[in-house]
Amino acid sequence: MTLTVRSGVIEEDRPLLELLPSTPDALAWVRDGEGLVAWGVARWIDPGRGWTRFQRSHAALVRLTSAARIDDPVGLPGSGLIALGSYSFDADAPGSLLVVPRVVIGRRDGVTFRTDITPAGAAPAAPPAEPAPAPVTRDRPRYAGSSLPDLHWLEAVAQAIERIRAGEADKVVLARDHAVWSHEPFDAVDLARRLTARFPRCHTFIADGLVGATPELLLRRRGSAVTSRVLAGTTARSDDEVEDAALGAALLRSAKDLDEHRFAAESVQEVLGPRCRDLTGDRGPRLLRLDNVQHLATTFAGTLDDPTTSALELVGALHPTAAVGGTPRDAALAMIAELEGMSRGRYAAPVGWTDAAGDGEWGIALRCAELAGARARLFAGVGVVAASLPEAELEETRLKLLAMQAVLETGPGTPAGPGSG
Amino acid sequence: MPENPPHTGAAAEADLDAADAALAAAAADDEDAPYDLDDVLERTGASRTLLEAVERAGLLMPHHRSADGQARYSEADVAAVSAGLTLVDAGLPLGELLDLARRTDEAIDQVADHAVEAFLRFVRDPVRGTARSETEATARLVTAYDRMLPATERLVAHHLRRRLLGRAAERVAEELHEAAAATAATDGDEADRAEPPGRPSGDDPL
Repeated sequence: MTLTVRSGVIEEDRPLLELLPSTPDALAWVRDGEGLVAWGVARWIDPGRGWTRFQRSHAALVRLTSAARIDDPVGLPGSGLIALGSYSFDADAPGSLLVVPRVVIGRRDGVTFRTDITPAGAAPAAPPAEPAPAPVTRDRPRYAGSSLPDLHWLEAVAQAIERIRAGEADKVVLARDHAVWSHEPFDAVDLARRLTARFPRCHTFIADGLVGATPELLLRRRGSAVTSRVLAGTTARSDDEVEDAALGAALLRSAKDLDEHRFAAESVQEVLGPRCRDLTGDRGPRLLRLDNVQHLATTFAGTLDDPTTSALELVGALHPTAAVGGTPRDAALAMIAELEGMSRGRYAAPVGWTDAAGDGEWGIALRCAELAGARARLFAGVGVVAASLPEAELEETRLKLLAMQAVLETGPGTPAGPGSG
Repeated sequence: MPENPPHTGAAAEADLDAADAALAAAAADDEDAPYDLDDVLERTGASRTLLEAVERAGLLMPHHRSADGQARYSEADVAAVSAGLTLVDAGLPLGELLDLARRTDEAIDQVADHAVEAFLRFVRDPVRGTARSETEATARLVTAYDRMLPATERLVAHHLRRRLLGRAAERVAEELHEAAAATAATDGDEADRAEPPGRPSGDDPL
C-alpha cells in the first residue's frame, strides 16, 4: 500500500496544540511553541518485542518511505514522511508503537507547515477541526490504588539500598504508579495544553494515550549532528528567591546527587563517545530550573562517525540510561524487575519522532500519565543509591505523583499556577 | 484558687526545687517502657524497615533511652503503632499516613509547648508561691499533674473527634451539592460516564 506524502508551508500562527483535534489517535511532540502535532493513522508500525524493536521499526519506516511518493518542498526537520512513537521500558514487554500519521502540522524556526500522508485508495484527510469546546464541568481524578501498595514499595526501596550497600549495583531507579479514575474520560490533548502552558521548556508529548512533559532530551539527530541532555539529581524550588538559590547551590554540592548525575551522564557518554568523533559535554552539571523542581543537567554534542546511524538505533543503544534504569545497567534492570512489583509500560522509555533518513528527537517519557478513557495511570520514580533513605524516597514519589495529579485535576481555562503542585 | 496571697508561703526556693523534681519524676514515670524495638516489631507485626523509617522521621519517639542508649517503648507506643497499621490496612497509603503524622506532630508540638507553659505559669507558680512546705508543694503539684494529664488527653482527643466529624460532614455536603450541580449541568448525560473501577455504582455516595 503506497503512501502519498505532500508537505507545504501554511499561514498559521496559533499554538500547535490548539490545532490538534481531541481524537484518540492524537500525537504530539512540542516544546517552546515549536515541534509537531499529528493525527490519524496512515500506517501503524508494530516494533514488536526485544532489544531490536528500535532498529526493526526504523527499518520498517525506511521500507515504507522508499515506496512512498513524497513531495516535500518545505525541507525542514519534521516535514515529509515522519513517524511518532513510544516504546516499552522493558525489552520484552508489549506496547511499543511507531505511527505514521495522516496529518502532521509542524513548526520550526517560526515556519509552520502541514503534511498530508494518504494511503493509496484512501480519501484525503479533513482539514484540522476546530478544538471541541471543553465540557463546562469536569470531574476530578480520583485515586484508585497502586500496583504495589506503598507500604511494600518502602520495603522494596530498603532492599535495594541493602543490596547496593552489599555491592550489587551503584544506583537503581525504582518507580511506583498511581491509578486514578474519573466520571468523565480524560482528554489527552487538553492535558497536553495544560502541561505545555506550565512547562514550556519541556517537551510535551502525546503518543497513543501516553501524555507528559519531559525536560530530558535523550537524543536529537539532525544529519550527523547529535545532542543529548541528561538530567539526574533533583531538588525542590522555593517561592523565596534566596532560598531557591540556596536549594540550587546545595544540589550542586550534594555528593549523593552528583554521584547519581555522574552515573547518568557516563551512561550516555559510553554510547555516544565511541560513535562520535568529537563528543563534547559540559564540564560539570549545570542547574536546570523548572516550574516545580530544579535538576542537575549535562548536555552532550557530537558528530557521528557514521552518518547512517539512525536516531532510533542510538535510542536503542542508550535506553535505558542510568537516569531511568541504574548503574550497572544489567544489575539495575534485574533489581527493578525483581523489586518494583509492576510493569512500567511505556513509562521511563523513549518517546519522540523520526524520519527514514534517521533524523529525529527522542525524550524519555517521565512526568507522564497513561490515559485510557476515564482511567489513567501516573508514574513517579527515584534514583536509589547507598545513601538513600526509604522514607525520603517515598515522600519524593508522593510529591511527584501529587504534582502530576494536580495537572490532571486542573479544569479547562484555569492553568495551574506556580506552587500548585 | 490560691489559698493564700502569693509570695507569703513559708517554703524556700531550695525546697521547691525538690517539688519540681518530684513533678519531673512523675512525668517521666507515667508508664512502664518494657519493650525494645524488636518487641514492638513482634507485638505489632510491623516490619523493621517501616519502624526504623518512622523513627528516623521523628514520628515514633521512644519513651526513653536506657543508659546504654537503647530505645525503650511502652504499651502505649505499641498501641500507637498498631493504630497506624490499622489505618494503612484500611486503605490509607503509607505516604499519606506519614504526611498526616508530620502535620499532626507539627501542630501538636506547638500546642504542647503552650500547654506546658500554661501549666508552669498558672498552676505550678501559684503552688510555689503559696505552699507552706516542700511536702505540701510536692503533693499539690503531683496531684494537679496526675489529674491534668488524662484530662488534657481527653479534651484533645474529644476536640479532634469533633473536628474530624464536622469536617467530614461538611465535605460530604459539598460533594453532594457539586454532584447535584453537575447532574443539572450535564442534563442527564449519564451514558458517557464511566463506572468507578472496582466497586458497584450503587455504593458510590455521589
